[in-house]
Amino acid sequence: MSTDIGVWIAAFLTLCIFSFLYKDNPFYKFAEHLFVGVSVGYGIVLTIHQGIIPFAWQPLKNSITGEAPLWRFFVTLIPVGVGFLFFSRLMPRYSWLIRYPIAILIGMGAGFAIPRAMETSIFEQMNGTLRPFGVINSLSAGEIIGAVLMLIGVVCTLTYFFFSVEHKGIVGGISKLGIIFLMIGFGSAFGNTVMGRVSLLIQRVDFLLGDWLGIVG
Amino acid sequence: MRRQVPLVLCFLFGITMTIQYYVPSRFSEDLKSEVLNWGLIIGPFALVLAIATLVRLHYTRIQRRSENWPYSIVVFVGLIVMAVVGTVQGFTSQGISGGPFEWIFNNIQVPMDATMFALLAFFIASAAYRAFRARTLEATLLLVAALLVMFGNAPIGDLIWQKISPVRPNLPSEVRQWILDNPNLSSRRAIIMGISLGAISQSLRIILGIERSYLGGGE
Amino acid sequence: MIEKLMSLDRRYVFALVGLAVIIPTLLMIRFPIYVSQPTQNIYDFIEGLSEGEVVMIAFDYGPSSLAELNPMAIAVLRHCFRKRLRVIGMTLWPVGATLGDTLMREVAHEFDTTEGEDYVYLGYRPGVTNVLLQMGEDISAVFAEDYSGTPISEHPMMADVKNYNDIALVVDLAAGASVEGAWIPYTYTGYKQKIAAGVTGVIVSQLYPYLQTGQLVGLMPGLLGAAEYEKLIEQPGKGTAGMSAQSIVHLLVIVLVIVGNVAYFTTRRREQNAEVY
Repeated sequence: MSTDIGVWIAAFLTLCIFSFLYKDNPFYKFAEHLFVGVSVGYGIVLTIHQGIIPFAWQPLKNSITGEAPLWRFFVTLIPVGVGFLFFSRLMPRYSWLIRYPIAILIGMGAGFAIPRAMETSIFEQMNGTLRPFGVINSLSAGEIIGAVLMLIGVVCTLTYFFFSVEHKGIVGGISKLGIIFLMIGFGSAFGNTVMGRVSLLIQRVDFLLGDWLGIVG
Repeated sequence: MRRQVPLVLCFLFGITMTIQYYVPSRFSEDLKSEVLNWGLIIGPFALVLAIATLVRLHYTRIQRRSENWPYSIVVFVGLIVMAVVGTVQGFTSQGISGGPFEWIFNNIQVPMDATMFALLAFFIASAAYRAFRARTLEATLLLVAALLVMFGNAPIGDLIWQKISPVRPNLPSEVRQWILDNPNLSSRRAIIMGISLGAISQSLRIILGIERSYLGGGE
Repeated sequence: MIEKLMSLDRRYVFALVGLAVIIPTLLMIRFPIYVSQPTQNIYDFIEGLSEGEVVMIAFDYGPSSLAELNPMAIAVLRHCFRKRLRVIGMTLWPVGATLGDTLMREVAHEFDTTEGEDYVYLGYRPGVTNVLLQMGEDISAVFAEDYSGTPISEHPMMADVKNYNDIALVVDLAAGASVEGAWIPYTYTGYKQKIAAGVTGVIVSQLYPYLQTGQLVGLMPGLLGAAEYEKLIEQPGKGTAGMSAQSIVHLLVIVLVIVGNVAYFTTRRREQNAEVY
């Protein structure tokens, strides 16, 4: 059995959370609220020491101490000032000022995303679907079947999501085939999700039986 | 000033960064680098929103003595202890690496977070037992695909198969891989393309000022 | 009997799941692992690298997924250190910062490595898109200092590592959308950076399209992926150990689904027969 006080605290909190399996209770509620508080505290520390200090404070300081040119001080001061507008949220009268940093961040994000999303998720995916047909002579029978199946699957599933045309007749048939592909896809996702969730439980049991009680190595 | 300037700012930053991608020159790269820097500086300040929302919620609960209000004190205790310990330690020579900050993280935050999600293993098994029914063709396909993937994911699946049949000793693993590589891939690709088209059009609407919900209500 | 099965208290199912995990863990059974091609691809890529080449590992996950991704991270780190590759650790997730720090130091101590020469842990910076794009130009513009506050210019291994051009492979260990939402669009598409991914079971299915296009070099699926990689480096760890309990719970869930369906259809047939008569 562990002699480490940290392991004992961790084991106690683990059991507090597991107690929810029986029913909601004060131990679970205590751990749940402690978790929320500690997580936000952790977020504050990380944002200050890994965000605000290296990106805002350090460049300003370097400009003053001469490690960086003085003009950088003023160039850095503009976004720092814009960042401080987030605090306007705390003053209802000026809370509209928060729109400035949000608008800049959203505009920037959208601008960066558009061309890269087009290439990553549209062009490359279309390319991946059609590429096997460009080298069809070098493919085995199994690979050709796979390529045809992939093309059918992509087209049918896309048709299912195409709502500008009523899903009747041929379109209805194609979209029904799309549903089949979707269901197999969701089924495989469920299968993998089970593996994911069970892994988390295995790790906690391993902690309780190994690190805490010392029954397993 | 209250609505138009943010819309103009959003348009300018958005359109410039979209065009920049297609015009690679020294100037445009420098401009991108400066804009990226601005984003890195502005972004962390958004933290104040998260803190303000949480503090307001729990402070109100304590003030009004709402149901379970004592637990809100636990939230504040956790928040203050972690924030003070980490922030102070961050100014020492070791930074936030190791020390009491890492100790609290590893022994308090990690076990609770990990166990919270471990509960889902029980719920997913219970849900599978109660709700996973082959009522229709579609539901049957979903169920069969899930069972085959699960059987293939478990190493014992191959062992059981080897007891049943001498051919293809890893058939369950191969079937799982085939499902993931073929029908799963096709449907996922279509979903990715659909989502991306939606995201791109939404981004364009934001840049062009058609979508303004991020500005919130009021003047 | 059938009615009882249909209205079984869920806590009995919970108890079965608990036992299905506890018993194999206590017995320490081990099952042979079959290595899938996407995991093999990552191993082959790293195996093909020469001594001194740089691998970046992104710990883009938190405690809620460490059960799946920590064993993967340990296996990949062991492979890299064994091959004398230089490793840079970083994360786009705040909660990943401390996990990555602890893990890198632990695994590095197993080998004859020196911080700053064989590995550097950069930690976390907020602003996913901006961080990745700016690192494409200059890593030191984002990480002027490492996680413990040492300027990265003081680390000898960073002298010839300026941006993605100097990194052979990025291994993203991810619990969220960082692979398809960040690393692929911003580093593969923008800078043609080779990327491999190790992800949680929940998201593995959705990454297969990127594997087929070559946007991903390889893909490790959850705890199974960790076990596969442990088999490849011939050093079993938590992944291999966990797959025994994993197998039993999987069988249990399969049996539960089958029993649930048999009970459901039997009840429905009885009800239909009762309506006819």
